Amino acid sequence: MARGRFMGVGLGLRRPHLEAVVARPDHGVPFWETCPENVIGDGGRPHRDACAILDRDPVLTHGLAISLGGFDPWDGDYLRDLGRFLVRTGTPWHSEHLCFTRVDGSCLHELLPIPFTREAVRHTVARARDLQARLPVPLLLENITYYAELGRAEMDEATFIAEVLEGADVGWLLDVNNIYVNALNFGFDPKAWLARMPLERVAQLHIAGHKRFGALTVDTHGAEVIDPVIELMQWTLARLGRPVPVLLERDNHIPDLEDLLAERSRLQAAYDEVLAVPVGGGRG
Amino acid sequence: MAEPLALQRALAALVLDPDGATFEEDPAGFARSHGLPEADAQSFQQFSAGLAAYRELARLSLMDPIETMFPITRALLEREGSWEPCVEAFIQARCVASPHYRDIAPAFLGWLAETGWGQATWPFLLELAHAELLEVLVARFPEADRPPGLHKVPGLPDRIVLDSVAQVVSYRHAVHRVSEAAPVPEARPTHLLAYRDGDGQPQLMDLTPAAAALLVRAQTESLAEAAAALGLADPAATLALLEELRDRGAIAGFQAAS
Repeated sequence: MARGRFMGVGLGLRRPHLEAVVARPDHGVPFWETCPENVIGDGGRPHRDACAILDRDPVLTHGLAISLGGFDPWDGDYLRDLGRFLVRTGTPWHSEHLCFTRVDGSCLHELLPIPFTREAVRHTVARARDLQARLPVPLLLENITYYAELGRAEMDEATFIAEVLEGADVGWLLDVNNIYVNALNFGFDPKAWLARMPLERVAQLHIAGHKRFGALTVDTHGAEVIDPVIELMQWTLARLGRPVPVLLERDNHIPDLEDLLAERSRLQAAYDEVLAVPVGGGRG
Repeated sequence: MAEPLALQRALAALVLDPDGATFEEDPAGFARSHGLPEADAQSFQQFSAGLAAYRELARLSLMDPIETMFPITRALLEREGSWEPCVEAFIQARCVASPHYRDIAPAFLGWLAETGWGQATWPFLLELAHAELLEVLVARFPEADRPPGLHKVPGLPDRIVLDSVAQVVSYRHAVHRVSEAAPVPEARPTHLLAYRDGDGQPQLMDLTPAAAALLVRAQTESLAEAAAALGLADPAATLALLEELRDRGAIAGFQAAS
């Protein structure tokens, strides 16, 4: 089964590392995650390197700008190219963010929060079902970091996410760091938050670093993962009781490949440690 | 409360529009001015710091590729205090439509071309920005299959088939000779061949006016006809230059002109 190839801690495939990753197939990374928007329609040497890796190594795909919760019509050409790309990579699923990125034809290239309202749930569920029908692989949705509620909320974030996942009948890419950051910014207990959620829908985890700017903590993907986030990853894996793949994201202040591989190894050790405990014997 | 689309439009306006800059002075007033009902206006007031962060984050996201890809254009306009107004006008124009992050810089160039922004003051501005992006575009342009039946050694009955990423570009200013320290180009007709070498690296080659004209004309007519039309007296030297350009990767090959 294809999903069996995706275990342990993988890395986001980033442009500064392409040449080095091509040159060393013994990198030890069990899988990569790539953003289709950064590969589709590109060319030149880095693109050749990226394709060589995607054709050689196990790959998951993770979209950035499809604007799942938005109102702009889908870009038909992009969806066609995306479908071909997903088939080419052999990814077992494709993930998108539970957010909007486009308004009236403008792409803002930022993950913007969907209002936590019943109407927004209905709209987002319809969009997710429609997108799923157009993709050749199962769709996962990822919870985002958000810095403000957009308009008066009719429900909390957890309820909003759960209702969309259930209504659209899609899997969940659970971003542990996003939950941790949201918990800091909005003052809640991330474990209690997670305990309310439909964890049976989780197919993959994300983990990353963040940074505090004044009163606000921002999901920068620009620093090493801190211990409390690693501990929350372990708690989540124990609660799941099954080995879903974890992906380390790094998009800013990208270190040398060797440093990133070392961080991945530390996270892999944490992953292995918790999964060595029999199901039901996890923490928390 | 408002429909989700109205809320999304208000957040987009906060990020992209000029009145977003004064959002923090009166967040609820901003919401009302965008047609949102009182309950949502109070929410904008309550979450004003987080909403303001979106303005900063999204604008950084849009500006970063422009500042990275156009360092000399930026240096020129910063000297005149005009870089921020330029970027502000671009963001307000809402012309970033592509989902590909790499397309933001070309969208900026397209906006400069379409609006003529700043070009009454700096007539070379569009050429300067184009030249800055040229190598990036050549480096990333998608590969295309070469047409079949090309040969390596040119003959006078042949026409030229450029490599799919190669471009012959003509400017009225020497915009490839500027730097961040000296960003104003000399007013001098300039002809460049931009191509990707065997290692995939972008290269720029200065061309004489005659060589540039030949590379353009001889894509649609024979080298003999193009050379005659341009008054080139030494066909052997021309053929030697073309063979060198094929070796460098700028020319895909040659085929008999029909």
